[in-house]
Amino acid sequence: MNKKYFLLLMVAFCYCITFSQNTEKILNNTSSFSQLINNFSGGLESNGQWYLNDPKTGDFEEEQNIRANSYLRINGFFLKNFTVGMQVESYAPKPLLNYDRQFDKELSLAQYFINYKTNKIDATAGYFYAQFGSGLILRAWEDTALGLNNSIRGGKVIYTPFEFLEITGLYGSQRRGFDVSDSDIMAFNTELNIDNLLKSDFFDELSIGLSYLNRNQEYISPIDEVNLDMVDIPKNIGLYSARLGVSFKDIYTNIEYVYKGRDTRLNNIIPNIVSFSENKLFDGNAVLFNLGYSAKGFGINYTFRRLENMSFYSQREDGNLINNPTNRATVNYLPALTKQHDYTLANIYLYQAQPGLSVENYESPRVKAGEIGNQIDVFYKIKKGTALGGKYGTKISANFSYWAALNVEVSDPDGVPFFSSDNLTYKSDFLNFKNKLFTDFNIEIKKKWSRKLSSIFTFIDLYYNTDYLVEANGSDINAWIGVAESTYKFGKGKSIRFEAQHLATNDDSRNWVGGTLEFFFNSNFGAYFNDSYNYEDSPVEENRKIHFFNLGGSFSKGATRIGLNYGRQRGGLICVGGVCRPVNKNTGVTLNLNTSF
Amino acid sequence: MRKLILFFTLLITFSSFSQDQVLETSIKTLKGGTTSLKKIVQQNDLIIVSLWATWCVPCINELDAISDVYEDWQDETNVELVAVSVDDSRTVNRVRPLVNGRDWEFTILLDINNNLKRALNTSTVPLTLIIKNGEIVYRHSGYTPGAEDTLYEELKKHI
Repeated sequence: MNKKYFLLLMVAFCYCITFSQNTEKILNNTSSFSQLINNFSGGLESNGQWYLNDPKTGDFEEEQNIRANSYLRINGFFLKNFTVGMQVESYAPKPLLNYDRQFDKELSLAQYFINYKTNKIDATAGYFYAQFGSGLILRAWEDTALGLNNSIRGGKVIYTPFEFLEITGLYGSQRRGFDVSDSDIMAFNTELNIDNLLKSDFFDELSIGLSYLNRNQEYISPIDEVNLDMVDIPKNIGLYSARLGVSFKDIYTNIEYVYKGRDTRLNNIIPNIVSFSENKLFDGNAVLFNLGYSAKGFGINYTFRRLENMSFYSQREDGNLINNPTNRATVNYLPALTKQHDYTLANIYLYQAQPGLSVENYESPRVKAGEIGNQIDVFYKIKKGTALGGKYGTKISANFSYWAALNVEVSDPDGVPFFSSDNLTYKSDFLNFKNKLFTDFNIEIKKKWSRKLSSIFTFIDLYYNTDYLVEANGSDINAWIGVAESTYKFGKGKSIRFEAQHLATNDDSRNWVGGTLEFFFNSNFGAYFNDSYNYEDSPVEENRKIHFFNLGGSFSKGATRIGLNYGRQRGGLICVGGVCRPVNKNTGVTLNLNTSF
Repeated sequence: MRKLILFFTLLITFSSFSQDQVLETSIKTLKGGTTSLKKIVQQNDLIIVSLWATWCVPCINELDAISDVYEDWQDETNVELVAVSVDDSRTVNRVRPLVNGRDWEFTILLDINNNLKRALNTSTVPLTLIIKNGEIVYRHSGYTPGAEDTLYEELKKHI
């Protein structure tokens, strides 16, 4: 449906409901107006930056050195079961650096929806978010820090006929900047809660999930020449998912398998120009397994995941991440399954999941087909009153993750050195962990010394395969990071926090030192200074002997939070929830405003 | 620029807070069932809701700090703390072992695709609410060491 008509229809619909419901009341009672206003809620988020020239890192060379991304959300409730909402977005005069350039409007209505909800039916028309299972097959969500919004415009119905059964059907096109993709997505999901069905208490949870998703997109060859070997490239690509969740006493487990139908593969021979290899089709699959045990004072969790050719975008060309660093219009959710660290130096060598299929051409073609790996988490509390536990107990958590590239056997009869051919195929091993990409062992000990003083000690040992993850012929990085932080409370919300960090490695740009000093005047207002400094000489000069610092403060009261910050940002990855976007080095003043009403 | 003015005018036009959608948003229990804050406030007239995540250090500091005094709080005010994790599927499997490993006695719920977080119009965690008789009477975002005392002072106003 044409976007304008769709919108008009929805607005008309809302007005009808509002007026039929409220006109009479407003006539009788003036306070009904406030009643009407009470039916609204919303929020405003605005992130602005003033980019400055920097004698150390260079001048700001783009146009418009003051920029802001803002989001206004308003929801209204009517007739008990209805909600309408809209989201207005503003990227004025341009989006912040490193955000998707598709956000190219100064101010525009970006999203709108109407929702009808009862105990059994939850129906939405307009833009909606959704997730099936763990998101391996579908996740539509928003993250303003990443500049990612892949909601779907269309319709979604969730039907819960019985307490043990939930059925979802949806249809629409995924959001892409202020527009939508030129494809249609249709998807179904079923969640069956068997323990609830059988009214059995034997298992705490026994559930099955089944999903299907179809992307319908016309394939238009980006290459002009006639290709006689071209195969039929399907218009419809289907994904299937089956899941099982079991929880028994203190043990719980989840298993998920996804199959993705055959599609073309991206051809990366010419950087920045998107083309596809049209002679062969490749399918994909994913396996996710999770097993955990936890009892009072102790918890352990193990996760295994294998992804093969699982990158999936609503427009094929978005699979080329050089052109799409912010992951716009991604259909499924494939985060790195590693520990997300909070400290700045622990965020220099970050692993990003390697789910996609691509071919790199150096001497011999390197086929990247996916990843395999696992991680384990342990949480333990040493009891109060023991020698190590002390008066308050000591909390320990540890995590180990190991990720490898899928091992593949490549066959390319028509390939020549430096150039693979369009007839390239490969076979992958199912369980082979030998091509190590990343490992991270970390342990964190949290100790409360007294009512006023507490400390956290963190140790991280990591390995990072630059050759595979950044650039061919890169070297390996082995590094360890140590962090110690202490907080002292003066009472009445006043406190001080000090944090010292060190990263040690003989590789890449070698050692870093860093620290943070933070002071809270009360529970509403705080100020901080932090710094990271690459102090050792190394062949990598990019960051050498430059202070990457931040000086700022934040104020929060009720539902409002304001942050002001001046600093120099290191180039690298910014990650939220395992999804990352690259940022360039920049210096400036940022203002973040967040409020809801 | 004119468009920006419009933007802020729109904002000022609507300036009060509605809660129905927040309370009715579906959230998951650790056992895979579905519930909502509405169902929880029917069982307890005074609750604290804390939106947190396993990767959020201030969130864990806040819940650790409350955990240390939770028994006293419950004795004094009969409050129940509902800790809603906004962890997505990347980290949600850490919730259960972390909660047990840190020995928290709170009610734990999951908001995996952040429906509740969206309904509350917040983009950052931690976010702490006090709900009295089904009405949100206090809201605070962020955690600073010692803020749990302020929260307790606020809580005592609503016994």
